[in-house]
Amino acid sequence: MKITKKEQEKKIKSRSKKADDKQKLILEILKTHGAKIYDDLDNGQFPKFSIPSRSVGNIVYDKQLRQYILGNNAALRSSRNSAQLRSFTQLMWLAFFANRLTTERKSSTLRDVYYSSQAFAVEFEDQSESDNIIVDLEAVTSRAREDFHIFPEERSSIFGDLNIEYTIPGYEGKTMNLANHPDGYSIGPSLTTAELVSTSAEIVIAIEKGGLFTRFVEEQVDKKFKSIILNTGGQAPRSTRTLLKRLHDEMKLPVICLTDGDVYGEHIAMVIKSGSANAAHLRELTVPDAKWVGVWATDIEKYKLPTIPMTESDIKRCYDLQKDPRYQDGIWKKELDVFLKLKRKAELEAFSKYGLTNITDKYLPQKLELAKSL
Amino acid sequence: MSSIKEKFNQISPSEFFYSNRDLAGFSNPTRSLYTAVREFVENALDACDQKGILPDVHLTIKAVEPDKPDPKPYILTVKDNGPGIDAEHIPLAFGTVLYGSKFGLKQARGMFGLGATMAILYGQITTNKPVLVKSSSDGKIQNQFEILLDIQKNKPVIVKHTTKEISKTGLTVSICLEGDYSKAGNKIRDYVYETSLITPYASITFDDPKNQKFSHPRFVKEIPAPPTIIRPHPHGIDVERIRRMIVESQFEIPTIDDAMIEKVRKDLGLSVKKLSFTSIMDKAKKKWKTLPRQVRVVIALMSFLKMDFEKLNKIKIEDIDMPNKKLFYWDFGDSQSKSVDMDPESEYYKQLTNTVQGEPLTTFLTKRFQRIGPTTAVKFAEFAKFKPEKRMGTLTNQELVNLSDALQKFEDFMAPDSSCLAPLGAEPLEKGIKKFFNPDFVAVVQRPASAYSGFPFIIEMGIAYGGDIKSGGPHVYRYANRIPLLYDEGSDVVLKVVNDTDWGRYKVKGEPPFIIVSHICSTRIPYKTAGKENVADRQEIERELRLALQFLSRKLSSFMSKRGQAEMAKKRANLYAKYIPMIAEFCTELSGKKKEPNYKKMLQTEIESENKKAIKEENEIENN
Repeated sequence: MKITKKEQEKKIKSRSKKADDKQKLILEILKTHGAKIYDDLDNGQFPKFSIPSRSVGNIVYDKQLRQYILGNNAALRSSRNSAQLRSFTQLMWLAFFANRLTTERKSSTLRDVYYSSQAFAVEFEDQSESDNIIVDLEAVTSRAREDFHIFPEERSSIFGDLNIEYTIPGYEGKTMNLANHPDGYSIGPSLTTAELVSTSAEIVIAIEKGGLFTRFVEEQVDKKFKSIILNTGGQAPRSTRTLLKRLHDEMKLPVICLTDGDVYGEHIAMVIKSGSANAAHLRELTVPDAKWVGVWATDIEKYKLPTIPMTESDIKRCYDLQKDPRYQDGIWKKELDVFLKLKRKAELEAFSKYGLTNITDKYLPQKLELAKSL
Repeated sequence: MSSIKEKFNQISPSEFFYSNRDLAGFSNPTRSLYTAVREFVENALDACDQKGILPDVHLTIKAVEPDKPDPKPYILTVKDNGPGIDAEHIPLAFGTVLYGSKFGLKQARGMFGLGATMAILYGQITTNKPVLVKSSSDGKIQNQFEILLDIQKNKPVIVKHTTKEISKTGLTVSICLEGDYSKAGNKIRDYVYETSLITPYASITFDDPKNQKFSHPRFVKEIPAPPTIIRPHPHGIDVERIRRMIVESQFEIPTIDDAMIEKVRKDLGLSVKKLSFTSIMDKAKKKWKTLPRQVRVVIALMSFLKMDFEKLNKIKIEDIDMPNKKLFYWDFGDSQSKSVDMDPESEYYKQLTNTVQGEPLTTFLTKRFQRIGPTTAVKFAEFAKFKPEKRMGTLTNQELVNLSDALQKFEDFMAPDSSCLAPLGAEPLEKGIKKFFNPDFVAVVQRPASAYSGFPFIIEMGIAYGGDIKSGGPHVYRYANRIPLLYDEGSDVVLKVVNDTDWGRYKVKGEPPFIIVSHICSTRIPYKTAGKENVADRQEIERELRLALQFLSRKLSSFMSKRGQAEMAKKRANLYAKYIPMIAEFCTELSGKKKEPNYKKMLQTEIESENKKAIKEENEIENN
């Protein structure tokens, strides 16, 4: 299908309008909060606002949403309270800073935020204090930090036939095919905010490790299985989870996860599927339909994989997850129980025992087939 | 070969003390210099206290050869304005061991003046120099002695004695001894400093070997009431002490010599002229009630001997055998021993019985102990299973032990009389602490008198916070009978009580600028060691210390919370001033406004209100 130049321009316009709309929405949220504070002060009062409580007691599992969410408990933050005044000011500064970032469409990292504060005489003891305030801003606005152009350090990447169109300043309208560079594209602010234009892929394979990601690219898994390959680099960062969700929601692609055969691998898949308790104040970060296809505990015997014994902390982690409401049924519970029984684990690289391409030639096709029935 | 016992008996007290000098604090040149300073300064202060003189004490330490390395000989001189010592007593007081004037049950810094003699002994042994004593007890003539101690014979050897005219009483003692000032200096300076804190009515100066002068003028003009000498409390007594008291209480049969006969004559109002036996007896009967005991005893003896003064002059009483009712005497004229029977029905027989067998138990108790009246004495006799009229002179050894045990166990004796104690008093203590530390907060308490094992004691304590006090507290200044205790703090009962305290409960946190002054006054401080530096943890003392500390800590706590509130109010004012303008700045841009919100008036009001709160709390602290 050929697209006329006019249609193309129209499309671009509509896409940048979408980005503009999002920007406007974010700025509007910030303005509303800022105006409330302004009015309080203007009326001769100490400004205050309420913030959902992020304490363990207020984190509950929502079966409908299939993720953790915050309960109804909220705390009042008042600038009259001398114990809260400092963090109140810090949060006000962060909103002010996020407002500038969003207005100017500039991105920043968590570490950046920590240092930027010093230009305004707002002290943070250390980065963990500023990180904490960023989570406060997320909780108050119910918006992820990425929406305010604040990103974590990048470590995950993506490869495959996916056309994107940048929306960041200086690249607006520029397009890119993500199969152009064999090392993959790192999932940063420009990619996260880009429009997803088109793809020939039929599935997204999220893989835990960079080494296997490279192997999958080399073995042309993208072509052989019509897939987009994504390296989560261990526990998937939020921007990566946002991208996964968008690939699923906007491009209608199923998402499968391939992790090491241990309890941590299982949980990496679970976080992609239903989020983490740490981000209970945020929605839009989960892919509830995502499927974990391996390496399962039951695969260890089935494929006669070389194993290593679990450590104390591995075993403790198993017991902890047994209490998690998401591990109470289905494959999640079954595999967890088997891990505990075996007390051994296998890495993705274990398949190399049967040849370097064994995992892509034998294991992957079987699992893709299986995924259809999951 | 002589037995061990004989050998032991041959050692003079001087020799004994010399070979045990470690016990008295003369173990090495450092400790010895410090101990010597202590002994002389404390003697000077005690002497002034006893006569109610405001003490001026001058301490000087000079090196004999300043360029020599330590340890080396030093001349230690302590001069006071006390009552001085009579010239006749000086050689014995400074030249023998076990001579002292501080006997009797009352609080004093030292016990028997032994320490000073030890210092002199130590000085003589290490430098072979005599002690120099200058004393004036009349404020006119000053006697100057140079005395050496004959260690083997425990006798003074006067090297030189001169006199000169002077206008003030006082005593100056100077000894030469081996010491180590470079090591002992800190302790000595601390000692002088801490002594002046607990003796605010004394002026103390110290010239040290490095020509530094330390002056602690008096800042309290009233001398605390001196302690009185009192009788012992029954709880603080042991068998040996009772035995000695009985010996003291028994009336000896007086020696009948010319002087005695003259006294009897005079008391009977008889002229020189010769009187017959019967007329003497008649006269005595008439005057009986006014006669002193000694005279009554002589009359009683005469009644059985049936002799007049002339005959009486020619015999000597040998023995009075009460059970067999016989009186034995030596007749000089016949040169032989004779005896007469005594009639037990006679009034005079009772008189002799009283004298020879001592007092009845109840009389002994009421007369020789504090806190025992006739009723208590009878109750006690019943408790101890003794007849109230049991004669003290007839007690067997076993009965003595039983009596002593019963005295400890009987619980109805009143608490010991504390008039023998000389606490400093809350007011001078507070003045002292204020002067020394200029603190933000001070509280003092004097606990009521209490007793352990029959020895009365009083705890005085002060607590101070802030001001010139260094952080890292609590620093504890320990005193016992106005002596600072500087060594061996580790095992002391005061520190135990302080360390047991959870200061967080009293809002004292971190390394506070905080001191505690603890003063234990007692007729006997239960020191753990002979060095007299740490007090043993007697239950009763520990309890009183705890109560004192708790009382003061609660006061401190209320100060701290007021101060905390004041600080919080100040802190709030500062925080508002710092952060509210920032919030205003950020929300102005955030809300897209051009002008900052109108918040300055509100902020000013709040800051002023917080500052007012702070001032109010601080004023309350001032007024407390």
